[in-house]
Amino acid sequence: MAAARSRLRSAAGPAAPDPWPTIMREFEGRPADLVPVLQRTQEAFGYLSPDSVRRVARWLKLSESDVFGVATFYAQFRFSPPGRHRLRVCLGTACHVKGGVQMLETLERRLAVEAGQTTPDGEYDLERVVCLGCCALAPVVTVDDAIYGQMSVLRLQGLLDEHAHA
Amino acid sequence: MTLEPLTRLDAPALSLEIDHQAVSVPAGTTVLRAAELAGVYVPSLCSHKELSPFGGCRLCTVEIEGARGYPLACSTLVADGMEVTTDTVALREMRQEILRLILSEHPSSCLLCGESDDCRRSLSTIRKAGVSTGCRSCPNDGDCELQQVVERVGISEIGYPVAYRGLEAEHDDPFYDRDYNLCILCGRCVRMCHEVRGASVLSFKYRGPRTLIGPAFGTSHLMAGCEFCGACVSVCPTGTLADKVSKWDGVPDGLETSTCPFCSLGCRVELAHKDGALSSVRAGHDVELNDGQLCVRGRFCLPEATHHHSRARQPMLRKGAYFRVASWDETLDEVAARLSGVAPDDVLMLVSGDLANEGLYAAQRFARVGLDGAGVDSTARDRLPGGPVFWSRLFALPISLEALAAADTVIVAGLDTRFSFSVAGVQVRRALRRGGRLVVVDARESNLARLADRWLRARPGDEARELAGLLADVRAGGEGAAGAEAVGGAAVGGEAGGGTLAIVIGPRVFDCPGAGELLPELEALATRQGVSILPLAHGANVRGALELGALAGVLPGPRPATGGALDLARLRAGHLPKVLYLVGESPFATRPDCELVIAQDLYLPPFEVDAFLPAASFVEAEGTLTSIEGRVQELRRVEHLAAGAVHGRALPDWQIFSDLAGRLGRPDLQYGDDAAVRAAIRAEAPGFAAEGDRRRRAMTPLAAGTAPVSAAAAGGRPQDGGSSVEADDGPVGRGRFVLVSEHSLLRHRGIDLAAVVEGLGELHLEEGVALNPDDLARLGVEPGGVVTVGLGGSDLVRVARPDSDCPRGAAYLVRDEAWVGPSRPVRVSIRAGDRSRAARPARRAPVAAAGPRAGDQGGGHGNDR
Repeated sequence: MAAARSRLRSAAGPAAPDPWPTIMREFEGRPADLVPVLQRTQEAFGYLSPDSVRRVARWLKLSESDVFGVATFYAQFRFSPPGRHRLRVCLGTACHVKGGVQMLETLERRLAVEAGQTTPDGEYDLERVVCLGCCALAPVVTVDDAIYGQMSVLRLQGLLDEHAHA
Repeated sequence: MTLEPLTRLDAPALSLEIDHQAVSVPAGTTVLRAAELAGVYVPSLCSHKELSPFGGCRLCTVEIEGARGYPLACSTLVADGMEVTTDTVALREMRQEILRLILSEHPSSCLLCGESDDCRRSLSTIRKAGVSTGCRSCPNDGDCELQQVVERVGISEIGYPVAYRGLEAEHDDPFYDRDYNLCILCGRCVRMCHEVRGASVLSFKYRGPRTLIGPAFGTSHLMAGCEFCGACVSVCPTGTLADKVSKWDGVPDGLETSTCPFCSLGCRVELAHKDGALSSVRAGHDVELNDGQLCVRGRFCLPEATHHHSRARQPMLRKGAYFRVASWDETLDEVAARLSGVAPDDVLMLVSGDLANEGLYAAQRFARVGLDGAGVDSTARDRLPGGPVFWSRLFALPISLEALAAADTVIVAGLDTRFSFSVAGVQVRRALRRGGRLVVVDARESNLARLADRWLRARPGDEARELAGLLADVRAGGEGAAGAEAVGGAAVGGEAGGGTLAIVIGPRVFDCPGAGELLPELEALATRQGVSILPLAHGANVRGALELGALAGVLPGPRPATGGALDLARLRAGHLPKVLYLVGESPFATRPDCELVIAQDLYLPPFEVDAFLPAASFVEAEGTLTSIEGRVQELRRVEHLAAGAVHGRALPDWQIFSDLAGRLGRPDLQYGDDAAVRAAIRAEAPGFAAEGDRRRRAMTPLAAGTAPVSAAAAGGRPQDGGSSVEADDGPVGRGRFVLVSEHSLLRHRGIDLAAVVEGLGELHLEEGVALNPDDLARLGVEPGGVVTVGLGGSDLVRVARPDSDCPRGAAYLVRDEAWVGPSRPVRVSIRAGDRSRAARPARRAPVAAAGPRAGDQGGGHGNDR
């Protein structure tokens, strides 16, 4: 995923090559390729835009509605550009018991978005996850690939202040 | 991907027991269908006979001896010796619980309210709420499958909290409204759109409790490419999807099976009527024809076309400066008096190819006999390019819509079935589902080209040549021949194991150069077994017009006739008669310079006339229509409104001619009723199934030597002298385009349906000039801009419509009633236009004549919704 993100950032640059020819070379273009094609498309662009969905539909001879229907079934696809940083709050059993909900509420209030949304300035994605596999550190919040354990509301606020000034 | 719901007729029969009753059904039948055949009721909300099994609602659980648990009847196939029980205490309780769960997300006060019986009697006015929350504000109330199932399953309370989703009702698209708060996610609409129509506009989006139905990204159905065929509305078991026009009409008083009056496929329709007026239209279920499917025109446009407020419902006469309402007696006396003093050579009657058989026959007989040899011709001639002899030979071919669905190979040329001849598209889709091959010959990326195994992209305007070449290859069947390869190398129509072949030819192809070469190819192929051909022409009854002699040079039968002095081609060349009698058609934008112009139609023509005779519409009179297959099918009268100032005084076409004949002292041309007209047809044209015969019938071709009335009448229009596409060797590009003009598919009698049917107007199907977006960008035309088409010295300024289906270097436009250019594809120059010089939009609203507009008094008619 990190690789996808860095690719996304480079794709935003002025000399970004069009990824479509590469993607289209990798598949035969059968309708059965739909999910891998969508995964590859999201990897290249960071999300599935209406234009991407239209191109995939034309290419695989499916309707846009069919493509969208399949894509929205899976939690792994997103339909808006990702934020520059990804905040994940764990609400697995241990984190839940240790106050993960308060962490999520703190972030929702501070960033004025709900879980699953991106801040209007495109800075943060806020996500809730169920278990990151490090329950001993509960409650856990991650910023991109960095894991912050044993969080409290105060520590979380400090972390965001620091991050904003970085 | 989906289970094939269509059982093969030759499948072996299996015996099973349903509720201890012995049943025998073909293998491949579902248990649900077997129960239905045995007359056993098993509740179901998601299954539908035209759709693949879904297993979504789970109401059809049954017990099968030896099977584990409770299998679903809709997705279990019968097996020999199966013992099925459909009604046990356990099943009943399970169904009730499942239904309660379904209803926990469906507003259910109309279903479970303790007051509902009293309410039905006394409180029936709380309607027209924007959002349905149940009770009497649901458009489906009283005619609802869910209500019926609740009654049959028998639940009276639900213990679950009712979750109202609070979604906004969707009213933005034409023709139907959607309120997904009522949706039970049975998926019938999604499967209908995907499996039967092949449009796939509707999909399940998201999942779990957030699941919604609709197109991608919440775009409108219009943008998502919806055909507005209404098939989803028809299969919806709830009030989620509802016709805009009839949604508050309530339960209809009755249904009459009739024939769609808008095109020559002759689809069966069921006319739902309420209080003596047409309310809505449902698809008929003739398996040989449309089998539950319709197109946007048949499904949604009939009520508005007959009830529009601008419909002219009173006879009118011009007296000096005034054009005013008159009685029938006064109008007919005046018309008869003015007709009787004119020499026959000075009278021309122009008849629409949309009239019923009775009207067509009575019209030509009135002109030829009643007026002692006055000229008669039909605008059907424009829709039958190539002339009557050519088309009579096409109509003699084995024409079959039904064979299309069973064909191993289908060749479709020049046809997009989204909005026209949709039912043919559905049949093609059916053939594909059965494993058939589709070969498309088209310059445009039509909806069928996208499904095709092989898309032969012809040059614009060259579809006829391309198709003729393909057919020649198929006929030769030689190894390696391009055509044989295109159809899969299979021998077609041969003796030993040759597959069946269906050829569908869109109306546009017959305007292309080289269309004449198609006939010998088709005739040669037609001699083989298993070959069927579907040549399509616009107009509801063009075949009837040809068979009943409404064209110049053709007598009923059809038999050749020596022509009168006048016909449509000569009229267009400037030979104007003194008297012009327009029956159901006004192919002019301005009044032709004749002494007397009489119009007989549903709507006033767009120019001044001297007398107007209001004709009955397709729901106001009994009659018959001839389909392209030769079926003579009845039109049923469902409107029984008292004649008078409000509902008007329209009369059937044949009756107007009969009354005029009486005044001209020709009692032999008077008919007591529509059956009397049919008796006269039978006497004069024995080969014609006058009494109505719904079987396919080949026409007896006109003798090849039949002299055309005038040279121009043979082919098309006198303006056709321009060079054909291939004769002009100037390159396409740099502002040079091939202009392909098509006949309007929205023309019905004298009107443009888009002007009277609001939803059709919103679709903008035929506006402006369609060009590839890349070409428009190269021309420097902004979105919404206009282009100037240089056409034989004159310039046409039209709105440019970006259309990515168009090939580059081609422009497509629809000929309007005043079109004077050639009907063949021609090379033209196109440049960015000057908006200030843009002509009035091609679309015209029906125009009321100057003077007191008393003819519109009928506008207050209570059915103008």
